[in-house]
Amino acid sequence: MDKNSSVRDNAWVDEHLATLSPSDTWNPDVSAGLQRLRELHVRGNSFSKRWIFASMGAVVACLCLMVLPSPKVLAHRCLECSVAVWQSLLPSAPALTDIKSPSGRSLAPDFNLKDANGRDVKLTDLKGKVVLVNFWTTWCEGCQVEIPWFIEFQKEYEARGLVVIGISMDDDGWKSVRPWLKEKKVNYPIVIGNEGLGKQYGLDGMPLTALVDREGRIADVHPGLVDKAATQQKIRALLQESFNDATN
Amino acid sequence: MLFRAHYERVAQIIARVVRDRARSEDIAVEVFLKLWRNYKAQGQNVEGWLYRVAVRAALDELRRQARRGHYERMVAWVCARPTPATPEDIHSVSQKQEKVRSVLSALEPRQAQFLLLRSHDFTYQEVASILNLNPASIGTLVSRAQESFRKEYIKRYGQE
Repeated sequence: MDKNSSVRDNAWVDEHLATLSPSDTWNPDVSAGLQRLRELHVRGNSFSKRWIFASMGAVVACLCLMVLPSPKVLAHRCLECSVAVWQSLLPSAPALTDIKSPSGRSLAPDFNLKDANGRDVKLTDLKGKVVLVNFWTTWCEGCQVEIPWFIEFQKEYEARGLVVIGISMDDDGWKSVRPWLKEKKVNYPIVIGNEGLGKQYGLDGMPLTALVDREGRIADVHPGLVDKAATQQKIRALLQESFNDATN
Repeated sequence: MLFRAHYERVAQIIARVVRDRARSEDIAVEVFLKLWRNYKAQGQNVEGWLYRVAVRAALDELRRQARRGHYERMVAWVCARPTPATPEDIHSVSQKQEKVRSVLSALEPRQAQFLLLRSHDFTYQEVASILNLNPASIGTLVSRAQESFRKEYIKRYGQE
């Protein structure tokens, strides 16, 4: 590129750049700008104050979270609540038609397992009593919802001859169940089950609740979360059957 | 005071590439705010720092506008609704001005800064001090920046 063309190119560029020059004279308002600058500066300072407030808020929120029940407990309570609401909305099931008639009942599979204190829990020893057999695990949320109901039933109907037995199906047995028992106040025996026993009761998923009549025969099997009111009615009906009646 | 002495010029140089004058003033104020907050910048050659940051901010805004325009065109194409021309659009005279701006926004930032400062009647010495350049190498930079501007312009709009 020779010198002339280079000069010409420069002029060409300068000429193009010159179009950027404003066509009219424009004088920005200095005092307005200064005021705006001051405003922004002040706002910036208040921003940093806001940060301090925000961090304090976060600390308070953390403390609240630490004090409040853990999320798992909270979730459990929510579940409990929604189950209660759901069950109160549903028309209560006709419980009596649900349990099998005495003639159609088959003998409950027997088991002899040890509870947390090493005492034997044998189903056939409980003849003459109505037995609620509940298969559960520590990790099953539905089980955690219904176990407090069973505790209630045990308290209410023990004198009339109800025995609740909780059969834990946790893989690691007492290792999980013992700490759980310490936490909850369960007023009925808990034993550790096995797969064979679960199969005999038709256990497919957690939980499963079977009602055994005074004669040791299965009157009702309910897979899944029970309906509190219906179960209560079934228990009452079974308690009303006398031992003699069942033998007849 | 620094603000009173330089605000007008800073705003004007920003207004060279940013069409909206109110927006130019905003950017100018932001530049001063940056200066206010940045103690390091208040050392030697404050003016240099000021103009360097101003042209950089102006070119950033230019690029942002170009991008926004691109999206707006895409949206307009999708919605197929003509966007009404703002008074600024009508006022913003020459197409040529827009072309120069779009070329500047496409150039390497340093070269664009250089050309912008040069177009605003800064001497080579001033430009060198603003951009922290070695005054001896300024000649090469000028020709290089002008060359890329010319190439980019011709690539986009042909020889005019």
